[in-house]
Amino acid sequence: MVEDTSTLNAFLHEHRVSGRQRRERIETHMKRLLIGIYAVATLVLMAWGFYQAIYVAPLDAMQGEIFRIIFYHVPSAAVAFLFFAISLAGSIGYLSFRRNQPDWAQASDAWALAGAEVGVVFCTVVLITGPLWGRRAWGIWWTWDARLTTTLVLWLIYVSYLLLRRFAAGPQMQTLAAVLGIFGALDVPIVYMSNRWWRTQHPAPVFGGGEGSGMDPVMKHALGWNLLAWFAWGMLILVLRYRVERQQQRFAAREAQAALAEL
Amino acid sequence: MDQRAILDHQFTVAAYAVTWAIQLGYLAWLGLRWRAQKRANARSIRTPR
Repeated sequence: MVEDTSTLNAFLHEHRVSGRQRRERIETHMKRLLIGIYAVATLVLMAWGFYQAIYVAPLDAMQGEIFRIIFYHVPSAAVAFLFFAISLAGSIGYLSFRRNQPDWAQASDAWALAGAEVGVVFCTVVLITGPLWGRRAWGIWWTWDARLTTTLVLWLIYVSYLLLRRFAAGPQMQTLAAVLGIFGALDVPIVYMSNRWWRTQHPAPVFGGGEGSGMDPVMKHALGWNLLAWFAWGMLILVLRYRVERQQQRFAAREAQAALAEL
Repeated sequence: MDQRAILDHQFTVAAYAVTWAIQLGYLAWLGLRWRAQKRANARSIRTPR
């Protein structure tokens, strides 16, 4: 009887374990499938955005073909701002949860880092495509006007954030990074408002810039598609960066536990 | 095509190419990090210290 019960228990345990493993396997497959579908949809969107920018949007009457840089420059700036906002939320989350909910704090920290790093990638694109446009439109690569300078400062703040995370060590590193991330994000509204607050060489706001601002509907349509495409692309690499950081955190935690066990 | 249009075209192509080089370069670097991290994780699970 006792033997029968233990055999039954062993059978049930094995059945439960195999059921859980099967469920986990199915979940992993589903996740991979969804990521694959999202990646394909993003690539289609990117191709469509490129087609709209190059073949559908008309030439600008004043600027000619150089105007087409706007279809990569503006979406990159918008996505960079969004990701710096995600970094801000992650930094605030880390400072809020670090004492009571360590796992949430680590997840928030990973979002903060992912947002900052991918934001820097997009901001770099802005700082390279802008001068390429400026060289043809203004005849100069760079000028120290408010929009350009505040954007460069924003980029420098987040590069210093990444350097801090790379080279600083010790338990205070994440806290210091979170504080720097919050201060860095304060520059985002200043960059956005700079060509409204001050007279700049940078063009006046195209949208919401008051009388005389605006864009041809076909151009606006093409810009909308490219905004959507770059946002989709950005989210893809943001999530990938977040997952790499979470893996790294788990690895570091396991190593720390193993080191403690050796003591 | 006049000289101005050719230069405009070259600068536009450069802007698009640089954008894609940065984005794809970053994606490749991320992929390499992902793979290295996955290997390190598997090694630390297989051979605990």
